[in-house]
Amino acid sequence: MFSVLVCDDSLVARKQVAKCLPQDWEVAVHFAKHGGEAIEALQQGKGQLLLLDLNMPVKDGYQTLEAIQQLGLPTKVVVISGDIQPEAHQRVTKLGAIDFIQKPVKADKLRDVLVKHDILKNYEATEEESLLDPEVRDCYQEITNIAMGQAGDHLARIMNVFVRLPIPNVNLIEVSELHMMLTDIEQHEQVTAVCQGFLGPGIRGEALCILSDSSFEDVAKILNIKQEVDDQIQLELLMDAASLLIGTCLAGLAEQMDVNFSQGHPVVLGQHRLITDIVNMNSINWRRTLAIELSYGLEGYNVQCDLILLFTEDSMSTMNKKLSHLLEDE
Amino acid sequence: MANDALDELREFHWMADMLQSVDVGIVVLDREYKVQVWNGFMESHSGLLPSEVQQKCLFDLFNHIEEEWFAQKAKPVFELKTRAFMTWEQRPYLFKFPNYRPITGSEPFMYQNIALSPLRSTTGTVEFISMMIYDMTDIASGKKQLEALQVSESVAAERGTQP
Repeated sequence: MFSVLVCDDSLVARKQVAKCLPQDWEVAVHFAKHGGEAIEALQQGKGQLLLLDLNMPVKDGYQTLEAIQQLGLPTKVVVISGDIQPEAHQRVTKLGAIDFIQKPVKADKLRDVLVKHDILKNYEATEEESLLDPEVRDCYQEITNIAMGQAGDHLARIMNVFVRLPIPNVNLIEVSELHMMLTDIEQHEQVTAVCQGFLGPGIRGEALCILSDSSFEDVAKILNIKQEVDDQIQLELLMDAASLLIGTCLAGLAEQMDVNFSQGHPVVLGQHRLITDIVNMNSINWRRTLAIELSYGLEGYNVQCDLILLFTEDSMSTMNKKLSHLLEDE
Repeated sequence: MANDALDELREFHWMADMLQSVDVGIVVLDREYKVQVWNGFMESHSGLLPSEVQQKCLFDLFNHIEEEWFAQKAKPVFELKTRAFMTWEQRPYLFKFPNYRPITGSEPFMYQNIALSPLRSTTGTVEFISMMIYDMTDIASGKKQLEALQVSESVAAERGTQP
């Protein structure tokens, strides 16, 4: 498990930093009250990431950074400090810190920094590698690409817009990661979501279509709705968009796997909800799922729509068989 | 050979019988929205016989269905061969049918889920679409009752906290 060391002389600050760590990030969190303790912990291998305060007794932040350099300890250091002078920033960077966050630390900011330096992503990637064969992932990505191409063409013809084709993101994910993925989409926006089950021989899954509330005005324009966009109309727009996106994408996948999917009736998961609520609501009777994530944009419009296709774990063996002609070495 | 043909005919006959009697509305429309198939469910609930609706335009038969709106839904079904869905949450009904249970039912009309699917011809083109109408009244009234309960609970809770 990835380990994080939080070093600050203030108990309140330590707690606050720990609370700001991404919620679904499964890490071991360790604490140190000053630089001396931090170095000790690092030498014991507690802290692939160090979140470091500057002003502390015994060994302050600068001295700690120097010690880490001298001892060649393998850790990435992000400095979290109230000292916002440019000089402080420059000095810690020179001493090997990868980033600098101003106190009080906020969860978003911390997450951004972790993502920026590939700390969050790296962690996810190493987890996934063991779960999903890269070749299989590649194959799923490719068939989704092809399906998307067809879907994009269809959408463009029906709606007269240019569709920026998303690169499908294929992962085998755990419940907590789905949560994390959705939180990423959220960005403090309210969303409206529908889900729709689909079913083929040996393949079960669910499509989740999420439209951010700010997109509705533009979707209305595209679909030629002249009335005022009230809740009723919004739901209708989402339903139309979802039918189109899910339908075209599934049709493309079905064709390549040579199966037929039946689709259940779409169900509204929630209107104007925070996405985390929507997922919490369906707590959870599965462990792991194959997720294909597509994020659509339309050129010239402010439309953000995410389509997530989730397949049950046991569907994968059927799908792999159906796709074996693509997986074989030539 | 003749027997095979007879068997096929029999099979076709009971298939048709099943479509006729299934408790889901089934309508087949052509590109001009003229009715091709109108099953027993539709007949019973609308009071219109198949002979009265055959080859008539859906919008002439039911004035309250907006042509432009419906065509928008049906377009991708014809053009992209994908299915389209309408839910009762979005629009309580497409056909204004009375409640299936006239005595004990609490809602005055039938809430409906609608699914449009393409019907492919032997050459792969789509000249007809099918429309399935599902009765969702029980689920809708259950959800409405639940919401009403939640509202009255929260009103009661607010009253309780006021001095």
